Amino acid sequence: MSDALLRNGVTIDDSFAEAFPMKATRIVITAHNLTWARHAAVAATGFATSVIGCGCEAGIERELGPGETPDGRPGLAVLFFSMSGKELAKQVERRVGQCVLTCPTTAVFAGIQVGEAIALGKNLRFFGDGWQISKVIDGVRYWRIPVMDGEFVAQETTAVVKGVGGGNLLLLCRDTDTALAVAEAAVLAMKALPNVVMPFPGGVVRSGSKVGSKYAALSASTNDAFCPSLYGLVDHSELTPHTRCVMEIVIDGLTEADVGAAMRAGMQAGIAIGVAGGLLRISAGNYGGKLGPFHFHLQKLLAGGGVE
Amino acid sequence: MSGWRFTLKQAPALRVDLRGITPTALEGLSAADVERLPVGCGNAMLALAELFGIETLTSDALVFDADLARFDRVGWHMSGGLMRVEGSVGHHAGGCMSAGELVVKGDAGALAACEMAGGTLTVEGHVGDFAASTLPGSMDGMRGGSLVVKGHAGARFGDRMRRGSALVFGDAGDFLASRMVAGTIAVGGRAGAHAGYGMRRGSVVFAAGPAAVQPGPTFVPAIADAGVIWQLLARDLARHGGPFARLATMRIERHLGDVAAGGKGELILAAP
Repeated sequence: MSDALLRNGVTIDDSFAEAFPMKATRIVITAHNLTWARHAAVAATGFATSVIGCGCEAGIERELGPGETPDGRPGLAVLFFSMSGKELAKQVERRVGQCVLTCPTTAVFAGIQVGEAIALGKNLRFFGDGWQISKVIDGVRYWRIPVMDGEFVAQETTAVVKGVGGGNLLLLCRDTDTALAVAEAAVLAMKALPNVVMPFPGGVVRSGSKVGSKYAALSASTNDAFCPSLYGLVDHSELTPHTRCVMEIVIDGLTEADVGAAMRAGMQAGIAIGVAGGLLRISAGNYGGKLGPFHFHLQKLLAGGGVE
Repeated sequence: MSGWRFTLKQAPALRVDLRGITPTALEGLSAADVERLPVGCGNAMLALAELFGIETLTSDALVFDADLARFDRVGWHMSGGLMRVEGSVGHHAGGCMSAGELVVKGDAGALAACEMAGGTLTVEGHVGDFAASTLPGSMDGMRGGSLVVKGHAGARFGDRMRRGSALVFGDAGDFLASRMVAGTIAVGGRAGAHAGYGMRRGSVVFAAGPAAVQPGPTFVPAIADAGVIWQLLARDLARHGGPFARLATMRIERHLGDVAAGGKGELILAAP
């Protein structure tokens, strides 16, 4: 704490967030209007908060206007992250099959064109029971699957690229009200940036975890050092008596720079609220450099620096 | 230096088979080598220099400053580079080409782009019968690439076509897209009788709307919306301009067929 930085009364730890490589893809979901595109996107990115139990991490990146989509309809860009290309392919196919194909008026397209191809509509086409039609347009293959509102159009594949998962901020606050306000502001600022998603509910996670557990079967368990309920009970608590609520924001991005930019934007949003608004300290989760190769130093990010 | 300009010395008495004269085949050859290249004329073989004056170009293109209406198989099996003919060409132009670009400023004879697999053939004038179709006895016609005809097309345009795009800015003859397996055909003008006869899959777009074609009795009107694929297709066709430039803004009606061959093909009639 001796090297901590103070900004608007908020202590910025001399610490870093530790992130790890993931496999990522972007898909574009369009629909008759934004409401139905959002229904599909929300469903497809549901139960996708953490690879620990969900198989992938996913979120809505941003809204797309009619001028930005292949079919000229409103849509949403959705990012998926997983620990392997194989698992990502499985998750994307299941989620698109159950949540996008099923949703009225939707169509789905690749949001990244260059990279290893994984199936998007390639296998879903068999739902057409022989009535599916392939259409190659400008070298890209689409599948037209007859459904009860017309046809579901899906690009055959989407591309997988390397991504970065696990960027994070810990927002140590005075109480629940201020912690929620700070976290919401930080998430809002991050959502304005491209190529990142915050996969937890509302972008915020209250059950931050540490690696390992006293139970051998568990790979992760509660981050006891940041649990106010364990203040005074664990000898390595990071909290003070005034820090009664901690929220974490986890960021997955397509590149290190994207994650770093999002963390910077989140910190700046929190600092703008300041200690007067209840944000006492900003820290980050790391595991001594053992978890992943991407280290996002909080103070360097604030100074406009990059990552290591 | 791999670019060459060919100037016709005099019109040949017999038809000439120009197969083998492609940018790839001429790459790296000396002027003497190019002059000695054999081409078929009637039942004899002639050296290329007997028919053309040959000079080098600073660009990589093969340019024929001549009317090649009596020359067949121009760009036959072309696999890259650029060929430009300032006049017309004979039959089989761009046949079996797999890559590259062939531009014909005049007309092309029968079987243009037959069994084409890639690349682009642009004919500024008209094409004869069986363009984008199959060689006699073969199962599949055009199977990739783009054929763009700025004028009119003869009969059997796209016969047995399997993949790729074939566009006619003007009218098309009878049996347009007959036995079509898949791919996209777009016609700016009117089509003759029996459009889509025996087609299994594929899309035939008529930019001039319902007046351009009379769907046969083995086609059924589509009642379902297909707006998404139409936008993808229309936007791709629009880049060719002309009658296709505003397709994406048009309403469509579709007719599905040929139900005698599975019914997975479609005639798309666009109307402002």
